[in-house]
Amino acid sequence: MSFKNMTITPGWEKYMTKEYVDLVERGPYGKQKKVSEMGSFKEVLEEHPMCAGCAMTLFIRLTMVGLPNPEHTILIGTAGCGRLALTQTSIPFIYGNYGDTNAVASGLKRGLEVRFKDQAKDVVVMAGDGGLADIGFSAVMHSWFRKERFTTIMLDNEVYGNTGGQESGMTERGALLKMAPKGKLFDKMDMIGLAQTSGVAYIARLTPTNPTRVASVIRKAVMIAREVGPTFIQAYTSCNIEYAIPTPKVLDDARDIESKRYGFMEIISDEAKAYLESIDTSKKAKKQE
Amino acid sequence: MYLVAHIDQAICSETACRLCTQYCPEANTILYDNAAKTAFVAVDRCKGCEICVGICDDLAKHHAIKMIMITDLKDTFELSKEGFRPESWTGKHP
Ligand SMILES: Cc1ncc(C[n+]2csc(CCOP(=O)(O)OP(=O)(O)O)c2C)c(N)n1
Ligand code: SF4
Ligand code: SF4
Ligand code: SF4
Repeated sequence: MSFKNMTITPGWEKYMTKEYVDLVERGPYGKQKKVSEMGSFKEVLEEHPMCAGCAMTLFIRLTMVGLPNPEHTILIGTAGCGRLALTQTSIPFIYGNYGDTNAVASGLKRGLEVRFKDQAKDVVVMAGDGGLADIGFSAVMHSWFRKERFTTIMLDNEVYGNTGGQESGMTERGALLKMAPKGKLFDKMDMIGLAQTSGVAYIARLTPTNPTRVASVIRKAVMIAREVGPTFIQAYTSCNIEYAIPTPKVLDDARDIESKRYGFMEIISDEAKAYLESIDTSKKAKKQE
Repeated sequence: MYLVAHIDQAICSETACRLCTQYCPEANTILYDNAAKTAFVAVDRCKGCEICVGICDDLAKHHAIKMIMITDLKDTFELSKEGFRPESWTGKHP
């Protein structure tokens, strides 16, 4: 778990797969890559079996670009569509049991802080709305109450996509799904409000319509979790299969939902804001040197 | 048989806005040739979703991407064969 560990022992290059060599030589390590450079560097995400045109796939891809230090990051996920891609990254991935992602992340982050005193290690939980708002709800809330320093990213497709279309707490009232044939009877859960009440240091709600924004939100959330406290990102990542969205229309749908009820929103604590400003100033000072 | 995205490099290189590369859900699928100043598609990675077509048509307004039957393409670029080697791309890919 560092770039040094990834580099290839001289003379062994020819025994490694092309993908691995490319990653070490042309990957996003050492200097944060920009979204505008995509297509010109080797991404940490490889091929994976998620559906064609899935917005969740796009969001995961952009998240990987936003990570400030992929070589010092550990991902935690669970059952659900997202892990199909998350397991195909060059970032260590822990497949938490359904329900315990945020408990695993809490212990892991604390352990890493003891083991690596001089090197920040980032822990990022990425799982579905079912995984975090329903089955993992208790562990998510308690990690926030305890102010655990890691990032939780909800891939909110408003359905249990991987298991064929059950409603989740994050499904909209009235939504018709294969296994909610009469329409959901309850409101969408207000996870943003719950995060605020629990004192989460940085909260963002967004869709993948603006790739640069996605990468920047991810970076902020991970940096703040390093020094200040828990961070939470709730991302609308439609399931085109369960909501029958033709793939060429996936981004039109995201723009539409964004304008109606999923607008970009950021809630940031004073402490987190001051921390972000401090890293920006030290960066500027470095540039001027 | 199935459709994959194909980029008309003559049109793309006039602006090479790179927008499609940022919106394709698949990683390292629309690549960017810095020498020829054009985007191009690794056909072995394209899942045929057509999102890039909408991006180029409606957002970039360049109309450089079309969906084409994979069997109708000649000299395709496959990432799994060639690897990610930007220094070797230089205008060679259709
Ligand atoms: C303890 C447990 N209960 C149920 C399942 C079955 N299961 C696998 S994926 C999934 C639904 C995932 O929904 P969500 O978390 O919203 O992710 P999505 O697939 O929609 O991305 C369920 C219920 C499981 N793996 N473990
Ligand atoms: S089932 Fe839905 S959420 Fe899962 S990969 Fe397919 S489109 Fe994406
Ligand atoms: S959106 Fe169109 S013009 Fe822009 S880089 Fe892609 S193919 Fe070229
Ligand atoms: S059709 Fe879809 S997968 Fe293929 S290049 Fe375009 S956006 Fe990417």
